[in-house]
Amino acid sequence: MTELALDSGQAAVSPVLAPRRRFMALRRLVAHRSFQIGLCLVLVLAVAAIFAPFITGIDPSAMKVRLRFKPPSETFLFGSDSFGRDVLTRVLYGARVSLWIGLVVAMLSGLCGALIGVLAAQFRSLDALLMRLMDALMSFPAILLALGITAALGPRMESVIIALTVAYVPAGARIVRASALVVRELDYVQAARIAGASDLRIMLRHILPNSVSPLLVHMTFVFAYSILAEAALSFLGVGVQPPTPSWGNIIAEGRDYATEAWWVMLFPGLGISLAALGLNLLGDGLRDVLDPRLKAG
Amino acid sequence: MIAAPLVSIEDLTVQFRTDRGWTTAIEGVSFDVAEGDCLGVVGESGSGKSVTALSMLRLHARGTSRFARGAVRYAGQDLLRAPERNLRKIRGRDIAMVFQDPMSSLNPVLSICDQISETLCLHQGMTRAGARQRAIELLDLVRIPDAARRVDEYPHRLSGGMRQRVMIAMAIACRPRLLIADEPTTALDVTIQAQILELLRDLRAELGMAVMLISHDLGVIAEFAKRVIVMYAGRIVEDAPVDVLFNAPRHPYTEGLMASMPALEGGTERLYAIPGRIPDPDEPIAGCRFGPRCAHIKPICQAAAPELVAIDATHRVRCTPRTRTSDMT
Repeated sequence: MTELALDSGQAAVSPVLAPRRRFMALRRLVAHRSFQIGLCLVLVLAVAAIFAPFITGIDPSAMKVRLRFKPPSETFLFGSDSFGRDVLTRVLYGARVSLWIGLVVAMLSGLCGALIGVLAAQFRSLDALLMRLMDALMSFPAILLALGITAALGPRMESVIIALTVAYVPAGARIVRASALVVRELDYVQAARIAGASDLRIMLRHILPNSVSPLLVHMTFVFAYSILAEAALSFLGVGVQPPTPSWGNIIAEGRDYATEAWWVMLFPGLGISLAALGLNLLGDGLRDVLDPRLKAG
Repeated sequence: MIAAPLVSIEDLTVQFRTDRGWTTAIEGVSFDVAEGDCLGVVGESGSGKSVTALSMLRLHARGTSRFARGAVRYAGQDLLRAPERNLRKIRGRDIAMVFQDPMSSLNPVLSICDQISETLCLHQGMTRAGARQRAIELLDLVRIPDAARRVDEYPHRLSGGMRQRVMIAMAIACRPRLLIADEPTTALDVTIQAQILELLRDLRAELGMAVMLISHDLGVIAEFAKRVIVMYAGRIVEDAPVDVLFNAPRHPYTEGLMASMPALEGGTERLYAIPGRIPDPDEPIAGCRFGPRCAHIKPICQAAAPELVAIDATHRVRCTPRTRTSDMT
């Protein structure tokens, strides 16, 4: 029984040497440089968005027409716009809308994508139907598809969310399907079937949890793309409607005065860039930690 | 083999869909597994051992495989045709299975406790606490030290031998009547192989279950099985008690297998190898599938494929009488 002796020997030391895998992944993530930077950026923006009312104390729609187009100063840290509204306040409130849309779209499209992907991988008869549907959606450029859907549903925040979700589901579904196709052939899925587990149970308990890590990475990018796409849609006038501020429509409103009042466009633009940068760095970090091919040993 | 068999496989023929149509993986496989039996199935890679085992629980993918003929009879039903719902009740509870590769047989995101509990909860409606307690008992039973602590660990923390023990614990969780072990020791190193075999042997005695051990390793089979089925190219070529098979094999293929085992006192001469290779399932071969590799081939072997014939109560062989070794010598 040499193996037993060795193994119990290992057991005695291993809790110190090797913490549980999930914590190990977390630890590696926290130590990852670009993840740290990304997380900081996103957290700062999220905190600013969540605590917007406490940071400024000004109504984002309050107009002071006599104080139009004031450049950044002590009274207007980011300047004021064509109606004399405080750009800082509007950018902060705009962050709430833009980040919320990004978050919800990432979650919803991730959820739908995971379900469709796993269904397609598990039930081969559904595969052709679901995947051709996804291909059809993918054949349109995402922004064009979203533009069409928002135009049809009316320019509201909900329609932007629905439109972007529809546009980003196919990529998520493909990613999950690809990894689920690999996972479903693994022995432990067969073992679960031998243990008498039903298709549904196998799908939700064994295949799904083992196929979602690439989706997680993809979702951070969808989050960033959605912020950009929302800005584009609002800029084109089919997104979130004024006076509700979003980063996109603040830029759209500032466009006409870009030469004389650059600050109206600059700050929401910075917000978009920083959010996209932060989320991309975050996603890179996640990918490095979760992708088994990049793991050492 | 006096009582009614536990599982009875009759004329099992399985085909897989390929680019060239349906390919026959196994053909006319018939054998019984008795209650408490200790059966070994031996054959080269591709001889249809695993296909036979998976067919017994109807685990092949639908659509790409079909059962052309035959039946797997268990408890009054034909498992090849029973509704999926009935099969799910039998899988894991009555017939369980252990695989070759313990490294990929455990779900990496679930703890050992969760995985063993799954079977218990599915079949015995146990509560989580009850299942956990039972999981610890099972880990003890498969001789995993410090079971109470090990039960909450994740598979990556365990060595190959330990994982295979966990697999066995999962398989015996509901005290199945038949445990199919498909190459359970192939991925393990030799000392651990011996331990796992010993464990299986002890568990068989303790739980009174039948074990069907599939292996390409004659040493493993000799050590474990009481009765051995030899498969070649998707067919059973010989079925005999282990001592008879090893001392007086009747099929030239079995003979070849015996001859290719290294002997302890054999010295350093080259090992014997059966000439040729296992035929492709689609390869047209007239008569006996082993014919092209057989040293004793006769025209009659190419005229018609020999049937699997019982030569006494416990011994069946698929070979034309005249080419049998006993007649040759």
